[in-house]
Amino acid sequence: MSDLNTELNHAMLPHEMFSIPVPFTDYKIPVTDTVVVTWIIMAVIILFAYIFTKKLSMVPQGKQNFAEVVVELVNNLVKDAVGHHWRLFAPYLGTVLLFLIVSNIVSIFNIIPNGEQLHKLTHMEIFEHFPNFALRPPTKDINVTACLAIMSILLVVIGGIRVKRLSGWLKHFLHPIPVMLPFNILDYVIKPLSLCLRLFGNILAAFIIMELIYMAFPPVVPAAFSIYFDLFDGLLQAYIFVFLTSLYVGEVVE
Amino acid sequence: MNGLVAIAAAIAVFTGVGAGIGIGIATSKAAEGVSRQPEAAGQIRGITLLGAVLAEATAIYGLFIAILLYLKLG
Repeated sequence: MSDLNTELNHAMLPHEMFSIPVPFTDYKIPVTDTVVVTWIIMAVIILFAYIFTKKLSMVPQGKQNFAEVVVELVNNLVKDAVGHHWRLFAPYLGTVLLFLIVSNIVSIFNIIPNGEQLHKLTHMEIFEHFPNFALRPPTKDINVTACLAIMSILLVVIGGIRVKRLSGWLKHFLHPIPVMLPFNILDYVIKPLSLCLRLFGNILAAFIIMELIYMAFPPVVPAAFSIYFDLFDGLLQAYIFVFLTSLYVGEVVE
Repeated sequence: MNGLVAIAAAIAVFTGVGAGIGIGIATSKAAEGVSRQPEAAGQIRGITLLGAVLAEATAIYGLFIAILLYLKLG
């Protein structure tokens, strides 16, 4: 029982991989595995973006078709929720959608065995000192989702001020009746909190369930469950995060 | 002490019952709405998703409390 407990704890919490020393001070910036996985995802997205937008032409062909379909999809999603001013918000929301899609389903690409498993498999001494690294979704770390939620609410505030000017934006706090002022202010605290916790909770819950299934019955069975918990749930949560953000933006901007 | 914390976490996760009932009601009404007016399917899908997501949030808060109990006290 305690063995399962420690193993689950180890998988659930982000652990420090290495640290970057700050020059002229004793302080070191810890780099967790969440950050390393985020770097890998960023590299993959940048690489794909470069490949798919190379040699653009007026008449799309080949891979440019795919890129245009993706952009069109994001534009329509934002257009439905935000309305007239969608052009201002589509690039950011599309970026967040792409990042969340890749980061939520990244654990299905986790095919490289870690150092511990290699050591068990081959009994070779070298593998014992390998860093214990696995591709786990970075969104199961609450720091990542909190960051994304704060960026979303900043988008709502800045977009609102940009579109309605400062006076118009301040007026919307008194929108239906002036008595609603405290609730409207409270909105700006509750919205990012619920966005953050929703994404974190869903991904972590799916991750824990998958981890338990891996422990209970490793062959074949996890593959079937992975389709729901990793793929379907991950894609749905990425869509919901962007959908809700664009809804909040639309509420203020319209 | 450990056992009590486990029971507390289990009670916190019971919030999922309410979320399950809420999402069930939302989806059943959405199905009814679409069968009555198939042309409004697109709009109904968006509203259903929003309702389901807001109902689900309660379950997530319960889960979050359970995880906090497990990590901080267990």
